[in-house]
Amino acid sequence: MAQILQYLANGLVYSSIIILGSIGLSLVYSIADFANFAHGDTMTVGAYGSFVAFGLLGGMGGSLLGLPLGFYVSLLVGMALAAAIAVLTHLAVYEPLDTDSIGLLITSIGVAFVYRASLMGIFGTDFLQYDITRSGPIPFLLDTVGVAITQRDVAIVVSAAVLVGALHFLLQRTTLGRKMRATADNPDLARVSGIRTDRVILVMWVIGSALAAAGGVFLALYSQLDPRIGFGILLVVFAAVIVGGIGSVYGAMLGGLLIGMIHELTPLLGDIGIPIGTAYAPAIAFVIMVAVLLVKPRGIAGDLT
Amino acid sequence: MGAFSAREKGVAGLLGGVGVLLLIGVVSGALAPAYLLYLVSLSAMYMLLSMGLNVQWGYGGLINFSVAAFFGLGAYGSALLTANSSPIAGNVSPVIALFGGLLLAAVLAVLIGYPTLKLRDDYLAIASLGLAEVVRIFILNENQWTAGSAGLTGIPLFFADWPVLGDLSYPYVFTVGGTAVFYMRQPVINGLLNLVLVAAFVVGVYLFLRRIHRSPWGRVLRTIKTDEDLAETLGKNTFAFKMQAFVIGSLIMALAGVFYTHLVLYVSPPDLQPITTFYVWVAVILGGTGSDRGAMLGGFTIVAIQQGTRFLNDAVQLPIGPAPLRLMLVGLLIILIVRLRPEGILPPERELIWPDAMRGERDE
Repeated sequence: MAQILQYLANGLVYSSIIILGSIGLSLVYSIADFANFAHGDTMTVGAYGSFVAFGLLGGMGGSLLGLPLGFYVSLLVGMALAAAIAVLTHLAVYEPLDTDSIGLLITSIGVAFVYRASLMGIFGTDFLQYDITRSGPIPFLLDTVGVAITQRDVAIVVSAAVLVGALHFLLQRTTLGRKMRATADNPDLARVSGIRTDRVILVMWVIGSALAAAGGVFLALYSQLDPRIGFGILLVVFAAVIVGGIGSVYGAMLGGLLIGMIHELTPLLGDIGIPIGTAYAPAIAFVIMVAVLLVKPRGIAGDLT
Repeated sequence: MGAFSAREKGVAGLLGGVGVLLLIGVVSGALAPAYLLYLVSLSAMYMLLSMGLNVQWGYGGLINFSVAAFFGLGAYGSALLTANSSPIAGNVSPVIALFGGLLLAAVLAVLIGYPTLKLRDDYLAIASLGLAEVVRIFILNENQWTAGSAGLTGIPLFFADWPVLGDLSYPYVFTVGGTAVFYMRQPVINGLLNLVLVAAFVVGVYLFLRRIHRSPWGRVLRTIKTDEDLAETLGKNTFAFKMQAFVIGSLIMALAGVFYTHLVLYVSPPDLQPITTFYVWVAVILGGTGSDRGAMLGGFTIVAIQQGTRFLNDAVQLPIGPAPLRLMLVGLLIILIVRLRPEGILPPERELIWPDAMRGERDE
């Protein structure tokens, strides 16, 4: 039982990362109308941006949830960097294109390669680690329920929850959010209603990429950092978006939670005697994705916006 | 058909120029002859892969991002049967193993195609990339069947057990009337044999594709690409046509994989990485979607990028290593093609017209 709780706890941390990635991917899918294969590498760009910022800023004294305050500042730096690069890419690459969504999809693969090649050229391909000492599990939780959760895990989940909460507030309570939802729902109708959809698209790139960067930072913090982490997780993020229903931000959150949980619950299969190792965790996510595409192409929450 | 367009002449001139440069390299001793043969064979292998993808994407509009999986299955299928280090079979004749590799790919093509070909274009892209990763993860982890991350060694040459070609003694000496004229060392002979093999594959596949592309089957496929609903309205079972195109394309990719096994004599899971898929995509969209001559040009370009970056790195000190440089070039190439020349350099023109019809037009 404690073992299952442990898997669920891990799943919550991993889900937080996937959710942050899947929101941006879903936003691009619904507003810019293409499958953005550069999204994973946007996560990596953000992670490297924050890594460098943290190296320059240092701890800055004080700490929150076991992480120095400088880390949170560098997180924001990484998010800003990824947003700026995504906007530049949109203006320089995607917008001048006269092509359909498939042409954009293929272009985004080129963009992904350019991002990754740049990172590999600047930083090399070695694994990097944040210079933050890892603390052990929180003793209270370990003693009472027998689940090993570090402060770092809590920090990831809480930060993700804050970001997602902020997005929810933005979408539901502000004029900008209403414009975004209108544009996602029907771009032509939004435009004739007087919404400047080109600006909404820029905002969408900013929000989606900033959240992706946060996901990348937490992924690097959770395990380690190298130029391939983003592309490595991209398909799992796609799985989350598709399971949740393409174009639905809340569906992407739900899909992220489900796929993250399933990913981390894979060891359970081995525990109950099914010989499928943890190496197959992403494979299981992909198979579920294909199954959802076949059975319910609009996803489990495709009708929510 | 003597009439070539200016663009075709330009491309042919460019390729000819590169060929002359390479020959000068060999004659001057800067380039080992065996290595040149290897480069040409590798280009031909990428041509095969590009032609395979062309059947799927170029003719039928199927976005298949699992090229690497079919290439890898062809390679692993034949390697598992022929290699003496193979954990399951081993030491089977390469000719029989060729069909083993193709069979494996055909089975996988049906397994991947059946669920995914019903999907929308962009879903097919994501799903096929995901399923290709499943194949790679499987090969990486099932050590008892695939030798896992270590890969397979001890693979024989394709002609190893052939009557004459397998028994050549080295260095092979050509004699005229008892006097030795010239001789060839083993790597050169092996390189030549590989080149002959892959050339036979390329010519065979090219003729086959040219035939089916112009046939009623090819026309239906092109209709599906342009407007699937229209094809359905005309009473065509579009799923069946797409499935046939998917399997044919996958078989050609697997054929390239089989050849790769006997060219490099080593296969390992990194051969199945998604980058292989995107190399082939670049080759197809650069050459011209739907154009088999374009696919050939694309094959050359890919090898030029792969091997050229390596030379460049040896020759001059670059601020960026060969692997990132390669990735950067491929990425920029993709962006630039879609932006500047979405139809590719050699888009299909006369390929779709029966030669007789062309002749008739000129007679008038």
